[in-house]
Amino acid sequence: MQWHDYVRERLSDITGDAARDEEIVEELAQHLAQRYDEARQAGAPHERALAMATGELRERAQIARLIREADRPRPHRPMPPASRRVNMLSDLWLDVRYAGRLLRRTPGFTAAAVLTLALGIGVTMAIFNVIDTVLLRTVPYPESQRLVMLWETDRASGTEREPASFPDFIDFKARSRTLDRIGAFMPVDANLQPDQGDPMRVAGLAVTPEIPDILGIRTIVGRAMSAADDQPQAPATALISQRLWRTAYGGRDLVGRTIRINDRVRTVIGVVPANADFGVVQILAAADYGGGTGDPRMQVDVWIPLQGDSKRFPRTTHPTLLAGRLAPGVVVSAAQDELAKIAADLEEQYRADNDKRGVSIQLVRDVVFGPVEPPLLLLMAAVALILLMACANVANLLLTRSTRRLREVAVRSALGAETMRLVRQFVAENVVLAMSAVGVAFVLAFGVLRTLVAIAPADIPRIAAIGLDMRSLLVGVGCAGVIALLFSLVPVAQARWTALPSLLKSEERVTGGVDARRLRSVLVIAEVALAVVLVTGAGLLIKSFWQLRTTDPGFQVASTLKLQLQLPQSRYPIQANPMPTSAAIERFNRELLQRVASLPGVQKTALAANHPLDRGFASSFIVVGREAEGANWPEISIRRVSPDYFAALGVPLVRGRLLDDRDRLMSSRGVVINRAVMDRFFPSADPVGHQIGFWGMPWTIVGVVGTERFQGIAKDPPIAVYLPLDLVPSNVESVLVRTAGDLSTLASAVRAVVRELDPAMVVYGVEPLEETLAESLIEQRFLMTLLAALAALALALAAVGIHGVLTCNVAQQRREIGVRMALGADGHRVLRGVVAQGVRLTGVGLIVGFAAAIAMGRFLTGLLFGVTPTDVPTLVAVIAVLGAVAAFSIWLPARRAVRVDPLVALRQE
Amino acid sequence: MAVNVFSREVKKGSAELMILALLEGRSRHGYEIGKQIEARSNGAISFQIASLYPMLYRLERRGWIEGRWVEKSGERRRRFYRLTAEGRQVLKRQRSFWNEFVEALDRVAGIRHA
Repeated sequence: MQWHDYVRERLSDITGDAARDEEIVEELAQHLAQRYDEARQAGAPHERALAMATGELRERAQIARLIREADRPRPHRPMPPASRRVNMLSDLWLDVRYAGRLLRRTPGFTAAAVLTLALGIGVTMAIFNVIDTVLLRTVPYPESQRLVMLWETDRASGTEREPASFPDFIDFKARSRTLDRIGAFMPVDANLQPDQGDPMRVAGLAVTPEIPDILGIRTIVGRAMSAADDQPQAPATALISQRLWRTAYGGRDLVGRTIRINDRVRTVIGVVPANADFGVVQILAAADYGGGTGDPRMQVDVWIPLQGDSKRFPRTTHPTLLAGRLAPGVVVSAAQDELAKIAADLEEQYRADNDKRGVSIQLVRDVVFGPVEPPLLLLMAAVALILLMACANVANLLLTRSTRRLREVAVRSALGAETMRLVRQFVAENVVLAMSAVGVAFVLAFGVLRTLVAIAPADIPRIAAIGLDMRSLLVGVGCAGVIALLFSLVPVAQARWTALPSLLKSEERVTGGVDARRLRSVLVIAEVALAVVLVTGAGLLIKSFWQLRTTDPGFQVASTLKLQLQLPQSRYPIQANPMPTSAAIERFNRELLQRVASLPGVQKTALAANHPLDRGFASSFIVVGREAEGANWPEISIRRVSPDYFAALGVPLVRGRLLDDRDRLMSSRGVVINRAVMDRFFPSADPVGHQIGFWGMPWTIVGVVGTERFQGIAKDPPIAVYLPLDLVPSNVESVLVRTAGDLSTLASAVRAVVRELDPAMVVYGVEPLEETLAESLIEQRFLMTLLAALAALALALAAVGIHGVLTCNVAQQRREIGVRMALGADGHRVLRGVVAQGVRLTGVGLIVGFAAAIAMGRFLTGLLFGVTPTDVPTLVAVIAVLGAVAAFSIWLPARRAVRVDPLVALRQE
Repeated sequence: MAVNVFSREVKKGSAELMILALLEGRSRHGYEIGKQIEARSNGAISFQIASLYPMLYRLERRGWIEGRWVEKSGERRRRFYRLTAEGRQVLKRQRSFWNEFVEALDRVAGIRHA
């Protein structure tokens, strides 16, 4: 055997110096030759002696590297000196540089740890940013903790958040001492005719002058609204938003000039900031009913004086929303007590109008943020779980690595290194690791936020203001800092607990003792448990969403187009004598229905005051002859529709007949009720022919139809009565057209028809009804999508965790497996061993996770529809998914264990 | 059983001491150094190429030992290592350190009588 050639073939170019390499090759060749000779002399056969000698060169790449490092004078020693009195700063710098070098030396470990941490920190930063922007930042009202909504309640119907009557507002204002200011406002659909182009529909608020003052709205240009502006006979004025000022008027000087709103000329007195309407959408949505556009993307562009009087708004009507400011030092409960007393006095005083009326005071902050709090906090909790899982995974990686480095710690501390010095070294390493992760996390969070804002429902307050900022970055850095510190303590504590002599002697300790293995198992169990919680939550929300999607809304959405129209009161006046009538609207409606019906492909056309996903308004009612029972009945939704409405929307007839031309006569006043009314108030009798009373007059029931969920799919179908639109006309209408053809072609055709009939009419909300329905579920879809994404992430992290721990265990047991296989154990036994270990870990994790998931299920209850938190099919599906993921993660390391070659495993030692 | 305990860190401490000590009385070649350590530790400590030669080259670079090719008649040309004056000083210091260290360990853990 030519040992020289043998070595040279395997170790070429060691130091870069050919002569020196030759010397080294020669020296090592002699070493091997002597090893072989000695083995032969001891009686070993040729093959065995050869194997012994060549075995020494097996890790030739490592040998070349070690020699190269040793044989070269080096500027820096990799381990910084463990001296006590060195300059702290330069020491720290050394630590950081050393840490960087160490991490570069193990790129696989570093990449895995950085990416895993970045995932956890990135989603945490993103969701924190959403919560910070939406919930935590101060409300843009001055002294928001004093700002309250004053709702009226109705003990008869059980409604808690009704707008107030205007006379009640005047009385509250005059009598209350706990509120130092009260203002009233109501939404207004404003038809704006700009100087050029088509008329626009903008959202407006009619307000008393207190409102801008209470909300702290300052005009940018011009003057504020005054008490004089609010006098019923005062000249018509308006404040406009900065947004409208820019878009419709190019920001030119407008104060003192006039604009046309709903065909009425108004003088612009000032411009208010674009965000002056903060919270209005949420307040309108919170009201049990109160008009409003129902559009969550609504932005208030016009502020006009309310100019209310008790003749225009009698005590029987409840159109005004009331906001107030608590007097200094007054708490909400004190105001509640005082106003409840005032309400009781008013009830006494105006028995007919204010029977069973009360008040409810609520902080505006709670009204605006209340609905978004639970889903956002749920998301934050989910993200916290993800961060925990990411930490567990990285802890696992670090544990594997730090056990390998235990000897370093042991030796250095034996040689006199202070504990602090060692801790600092590990802190430096983990800080470098964690801060790299923050860098990646920042990029990740940026992407996540962009996606979030794109898919988020528009009625989340301040959603548009979301974007990474210093605070989110600080949260990321804070998370990273805590993680780095915790991780740093592990190896040092481990080393100090482990006896030094055993460390110096025992190999097993060094590659991960029993303690480390147990800790890793606990981490994996925790990960599986966390994944179960997240996947269960996501599963329940997915099922809930699926239920929502498959719940019959009670009307047909497919192939149906929706358009909304606003008929300005100036040209389409409604007279009340005593019932509201309008010849102009009747004419317009008839013409419109006729022309749309004759468009190609149109199957059915209908008109309604509110489209089927607009909750509209409700009124108290009685059944004639059963007046006494009606005192505690809820209010009934009033739906004004054209006779074809039921056919166009596929609402089935249950009993009697549908509305027809007979019912539009004031003398007959025929109405149709829905099945919910029949089931609840006529459980045993046929309601057809009975009379119900509302608006102070009786109406005859001519038929019963199916229920429509016009308050949203997630809500139970409300009780409703349908009356002819012609009998009680509306200035706001929805056109509903069923077609066999293309919806977008139809949309332009219908628009053209409207333009022909009235070129100045505003058309808005043009979309397939299917889209309106999908839009109504956007909040549920948002939450479900996010939680599903987080659950997928959790699954991936759990899979990586199980796989990592089993792989590490298999690697550590290689020798043992090798011996067992050499002694005749078959592959199946080894396989069973590894699989059993994985199944045990997963099983315990599943059990712990399910206990936690069921315990935490109650937090989800309010967000679920048609699913209980302990829904068995969902739980079974979660087991199946996690089982499959776990099986895959177990299978890979198990297969590796079976493939251990006993000879190789034994020789490795 | 030969347990290869020695990581690079430990080599900086105790392995250095062993090699320097072995070269105190006479010069030896690499293979002999490895055999001696194994024999004197009753097989508890063993060196292979990967651990032994990088250590020797490092000590040589530091100037603590010196290697020379020696050709004896009838034998292969071999590289022998001997202790330098500096190496002798280092050995002295390391001996006293380890002495103190082992004594300290003894006082704490009673390892000598184990």
